[in-house]
This record gives sequence, C-alpha cells and structure tokens, in this order.
Amino acid sequence: MSPAAARRLEGDWYPGAIPANVSIDETAYVQTSFSFHLYRSAEPEGVRIGRGASVYLGTMFDVGRQGRVAIGAFTLVNGARIVCDAAIEIGDCCLISWNVVLMDTYRLPRDVVKRRRVLQRVPRLDPRRAETGVPGRPIRIGPNVWIGFDACVLPGVTIGAGSIVGARSVVSADVPPGTVVAGNPARVIRALEEGQAPWRE
Amino acid sequence: MKLPENVRVGPGTVITGDHAFKRFLSRSSPGLTIGEHCTMDGTHFAVGAEGRIQIGDYCYFTNAVLLCELELRIGSYVVIGWNATIADTDFHPIAPADRIADAIACSPLAAGRPRPPIARRAVVIEDDVWIGPNATILKGVRLGRGSWIEPGALVVHDTLPGSRVGGNPARPLEDAAP
Repeated sequence: MSPAAARRLEGDWYPGAIPANVSIDETAYVQTSFSFHLYRSAEPEGVRIGRGASVYLGTMFDVGRQGRVAIGAFTLVNGARIVCDAAIEIGDCCLISWNVVLMDTYRLPRDVVKRRRVLQRVPRLDPRRAETGVPGRPIRIGPNVWIGFDACVLPGVTIGAGSIVGARSVVSADVPPGTVVAGNPARVIRALEEGQAPWRE
Repeated sequence: MKLPENVRVGPGTVITGDHAFKRFLSRSSPGLTIGEHCTMDGTHFAVGAEGRIQIGDYCYFTNAVLLCELELRIGSYVVIGWNATIADTDFHPIAPADRIADAIACSPLAAGRPRPPIARRAVVIEDDVWIGPNATILKGVRLGRGSWIEPGALVVHDTLPGSRVGGNPARPLEDAAP
C-alpha cells in the first residue's frame, strides 16, 4: 500500500489523523491516532504496519525526523513506547506487551555540558522536544518474538527469531534465536527446544 | 491549567497532561516548587499531605511518576524519562501487625483510625542527572551530580557524581558513552 494523505481513523476518540507517510495495511488494526501525536518522521515511509497486525491503545510512535519503524504481519503491539531516530524493525507474528520501551536512541548526549546546551534550547522550541541528533542504533526484532510487559530494549539490540523476553527485562545485548532471556540486565535462561521452533522451517 | 494554590512555578515552565495534580494532596506551603524553563509533560505529582517537591530550572520530565510523602529535592537540568517512578516512601508498614492496622485504617470502615508510621526518607536528585524510561528510584537515595540512570534500572543506593548505573538492583556500569 502506498502512503496517501493524512487521514482519520474510523471511530477514533482522539481528534488526530494518521500522518501521510504512515502505511497501514488495509487488514491491519490501529486503535487510535493518539499513537501518532509525537510522530514527526520525514522519511518517505516513517511507519509501516503489515497485514493483519494490530496496534492498541497506549502504543506511542515517538519517531524522530529520520526514524523508520516497520511492524510485521500478524504482530500484536499492545501499548509499547517506540522511541526511534534510526530504525526499528519488528518481524511477523511478534507479541509486544504493555509499557514495553523499544528505543534505538538515548536522544540526549551523555556529556553534561552538551546536554545542558540542549536543555537550554528546548524551552524556545514549539513543541518542546529534547532532540540532538545523537545517532541512533537500529533495533531488529526477528519474527515470532514475545516481549513481556515493562521490558526495555536498548539501542543496537537484535533479538533472534522465536525468542522470549521476560517481563521487566532490560535487553542491552543481542539475543540469539530460540532463546528465553530475562532479568535486568537480561540473561539467557534457556533455549527453546527444536520441536518448538517452527520458524526454522 | 489551574494550579493548586500551594504550587509555585517559575517563568517559562510548562506543565501538560490531565493527571498532573489528580493525586496532589499536599498541605505543605509550598507543596511543589518548580523553577524556570522546565517542561513537565504528563508528569504525575502524587504528593501526600506532608509531602513537598522542589525542582530546579531547565528540567525535562516525560510522564514521570513522582510519589512523595516527605520530600523530593530535584536540581536543575534533570531529565526523567517516560514512566520512570520516584518514591520517597514505602507506602505501607513492613511489620505484618502494622500492615493489618494500616489496611483497616485505609478501609471505608476506618472510622478515623490513624495509620501506623510508615518509613519515608527524602530523595535527592542533584543537577544534570539523566533518568531513563521505566527506571525506579526508591526512598533515601541521593543521585550524585551528573549521574546517568539506565532505562529500567531500580536504584536503591546512592550514585556517585558522574557515574552510570543500571540493572536491578542498579550497580555501577562501565561508562561507555551511549
């Protein structure tokens, strides 16, 4: 589906619109345009939502000017905070729970002097956005990944196909395919068995 | 936005969101002081009767949850990420008998019974601290000047100035600039 003009969602309680450069498959479900009220991607396709995917209330596309988010077919996003200045790719048939943070950028520099400079500029902006061009590092989430509630996935992380991230985990390193990880910082708990890995076929 | 009468806000500070003062019950004078040029976006100021919060200049909070029964002292240039929680109290007593008394005192049948004492200790966040989304800061903690709290960290100990901490419980991390 090619991007069209900004458009309203049917029965949306929020008086906003889906931005023109957001592609939503006609079989996908997006609950409310409120999910896009922080969205400002200027990319040709800032968000792509695949066939049969669903994006529920509480999901926030906090996508910067150069951010690109792709959500695969049949993936369920049930209220995640997606902070994207580079690229966040979520595969097919993933389950993303509530209050999950997927961030490909820290937005502000670690250096205190540079950070102060940004914070002094923010009040003069409308809307007030603390952005700096700190380079993002893309997040890739393979197909059939399940992420539990309140988990954080940090910049540069790749999560392999079929893996499970436990609730409240903080994932700062890559997760191999077919693995259960949990904890803060997240550690490998166990591998899923071969027979449980249909994604390999 | 209509501010409670015991809230002082400096010039250039903007408070947005429907929940800012839904749980603001402070009778302190002032109960909340915010300096100049701050951005308080969707932040909850959940302050109990005796609580007071002080915030410096040029702070930027996104949907932070501030739970205060005693004192939160926050410096300038502090950034708090989405859904991060800061609490200066345990909310309820630890000892089982006290908790029974507290459950009754909090119930519709309290009939004026006072609540038992509850542990609370001020939280101090010094200048230039960055707190990531989903992080939690618990009572009595002092975050040293310029410390960096990773997303999802649960902080129960003081942090050294300029340090970077993460994990549950939060521990010092190698200071690779993210």
